[in-house]
Amino acid sequence: MNKAIAAIALLAAASLPLSAQAGGDAAAGKAKSAPCAACHGADGNSAIPINPTLAGQHADYLVRALQEYKSGVRQNPIMAGMAAPLSEQDMEDIAAYFAAQDGLRTPVER
Amino acid sequence: MKATTRLSRAAALAAVLALAPATGALAAGDAEQGRIKAETCLGCHGIPNYTNAHPTYKVPKLGGQHAEYLVAALKAYKAGQRGHETMHANAASLSEQDMADIAAYFANAE
Repeated sequence: MNKAIAAIALLAAASLPLSAQAGGDAAAGKAKSAPCAACHGADGNSAIPINPTLAGQHADYLVRALQEYKSGVRQNPIMAGMAAPLSEQDMEDIAAYFAAQDGLRTPVER
Repeated sequence: MKATTRLSRAAALAAVLALAPATGALAAGDAEQGRIKAETCLGCHGIPNYTNAHPTYKVPKLGGQHAEYLVAALKAYKAGQRGHETMHANAASLSEQDMADIAAYFANAE
């Protein structure tokens, strides 16, 4: 019971600021991210070194990357094919999902 | 039969040789050297939520990213295959060794 409440609170806390920024729906993004999983891992932690980890990445950077793959500014035959059918909303939802996962971090200079 | 075996051996050898240079470059990445060489990078990538001025989006988190992907990204920026003036300028002066070292640093940076 307490765990469920904690989980809901965490989800709410994690998804609210993201929604505000990107307009993305992380829950919808999870469903839409199914095709990404084979190469980037189900939660965006890629097990294949040439494919980037997406988990924890900034949502707006991920949206930008998808837009550039779709437009051809960023050239990658596989990602061009994956991004082609995505709407802006799809991109924002998928980005919101991966951004909310535990993974990448900003290194602190020492 | 023998010819087939010889052919598949040749194919296997070719596959190993094709992979060897990339693996070799990665293996040579020195994270400590990379930490020093990454000082410029951290001016943007070491500041939490730092925003790219134009176009506007947060610069990607690199801590924990795969070294192999980071090298591929730097090469693409250097070659002008990814449209970002600042990253093109930064990558242009990097040698393969610099890229491998910087990638090794970020892959494990906390």
